[in-house]
Amino acid sequence: MMSGSPSIPVEEALRLRHGREADRVRLRSLAETDAGLADLVADWDRQDAAIRALYAPVAEEPLPERFRAAIKATRQAPAKGALPLWRIAASVALLALGFAAGWGGARFMQSPAEPTLAAAAMTSFATYSVETRHPVEVGAEDEAHLVQWLSKRLGTPFRPPDLSQGGFRLIGGRLLPGTTSPAALLMYEDDLGRRLALYLTRSDGAESDLAFAEEPGRQAFWWAEGNLGCALVGDLPRDTLRRLAIAAYHDLTEA
Amino acid sequence: MPFLDQIEAAIPGLRAYARALTRDREVADDLVQDTLEAALARQTQWRGDGPLRAWLVRILMNRFRDGLRRQRPAAAVLALVPDPADPPAARAAEGRLALAEVHAAMGRLPEDQRAALLLVALEGMSLAEAASVLGCAEGTLASRLARARATLRQMTGREAVPHRPGKAGE
Repeated sequence: MMSGSPSIPVEEALRLRHGREADRVRLRSLAETDAGLADLVADWDRQDAAIRALYAPVAEEPLPERFRAAIKATRQAPAKGALPLWRIAASVALLALGFAAGWGGARFMQSPAEPTLAAAAMTSFATYSVETRHPVEVGAEDEAHLVQWLSKRLGTPFRPPDLSQGGFRLIGGRLLPGTTSPAALLMYEDDLGRRLALYLTRSDGAESDLAFAEEPGRQAFWWAEGNLGCALVGDLPRDTLRRLAIAAYHDLTEA
Repeated sequence: MPFLDQIEAAIPGLRAYARALTRDREVADDLVQDTLEAALARQTQWRGDGPLRAWLVRILMNRFRDGLRRQRPAAAVLALVPDPADPPAARAAEGRLALAEVHAAMGRLPEDQRAALLLVALEGMSLAEAASVLGCAEGTLASRLARARATLRQMTGREAVPHRPGKAGE
C-alpha cells in the first residue's frame, strides 16, 4: 500500500517521534492528514515493538553470579564519602536480585499497612484496562485539563510520570471513588496495545517502601510518599514493571 | 537510591541492550561485566546529575567501540542467534513484523546505526539523550536513525520509502 512520500523530511519526523510529548502529539496530528507519514510512523511503531519483543526479555534472565560478586566486593569495601540513602533501596535491591528461587518470596514484603491500596488499584486496572471504547474519561490530548482536574480532586498536585522508557504513553485518566479521598487512575498503553494503570490516592503521610503484590493476571508495585499513595499495575515482566515503577516514583517525587 | 543499588537495578536492562548490540550472549555479558567494573571503579565521578542508566550506557558504548577497534579485521562476523521461540510466521500474519526477520536485519546494520536505534527503541531514550550518550550531534543521530529504519523497512519486506535527507548526511 504505497501512500506517497511524507510531506516532512524523515529526520524531522524522527526528531518529533523521539522527542517530548508535545512533539509526539504534533507528529500524530501531522500524520492525520499525511498518509505517507502515517504509513511510515506505523511501520516505525512495528519496528520498535518487534525490537522490544526480541530483546527486552533478556532482562528477565537470571543474572550471572559474577555481576553480583563485583557489586558485593565493592559494597564490602565502600568508597569514601557518604552516599545518599533512599528508603526504597532495600526493597529494590532485593527485588532486583530476582530471587533465584522464584518470585514467591516477594509477596511477604507487602506490608500490612496499606494492602487496600494495591487491592483497589488492581481492581481498577481489571475493570478499566480491558475497555476498548472507554478506558479513560479524559484523553491524553487534554492532558493539561486532565492533570488540573485530578490534582484538584485529589487535593494534591502531581504530574503524570513519563513511562516512555518502556514504550508506554499516557492515553488518559479517570476519577474513581477511594477510601480516604477520590482516587485518580492514569492509563498508559504501548504499541502492542498492552496497558498499565497508575493508581493515585491521597495518603496521610505514612510512607512505605516499594512493595509488590499480585493477583492472577495482574501485578502491582506500590508505595506511599509525601501525601500520595501510588500503585503501578499491569501484566508485564516483573523487571519491566519494577523499572517503570521506579521511574514513576522518581517523576512523582520530583514533580 | 544508593549508588550501588542503582547500579544493581540497572544491570538487567543493560544486559538486554548489550545482547541486542553484540548479538552474542557471552560477548554481551563480558561487556556488561567490564562496564560494571569500570562504573564501580569510577563511582566518585558519578555526580548524580543525570540518569545513571545513560552514564552506564555511555561507559558500555566506549568499551564496545574499544573492543571493535582492537579486533576490527577479524570482527564484523557476529554470531546470529536464532532467537524467537514461536514461529515468526504466526506473528507476521497479524500484521506484526516477523521477529526473526527483524533480528536478522538488525544484524546487518552498521554498529553505530544499531546502537542508535536500540537506544531509542529499546531504552526509550529521546533523540537528544541518545545523541548525548553516543557523543554525536542530534542531526547525526537523526540521519543514522533514518538510515537504520529505512534498511529495516526494506529488509523486512516493506516497500522502501525513498530516503530524503533533510540535509547532507554525517
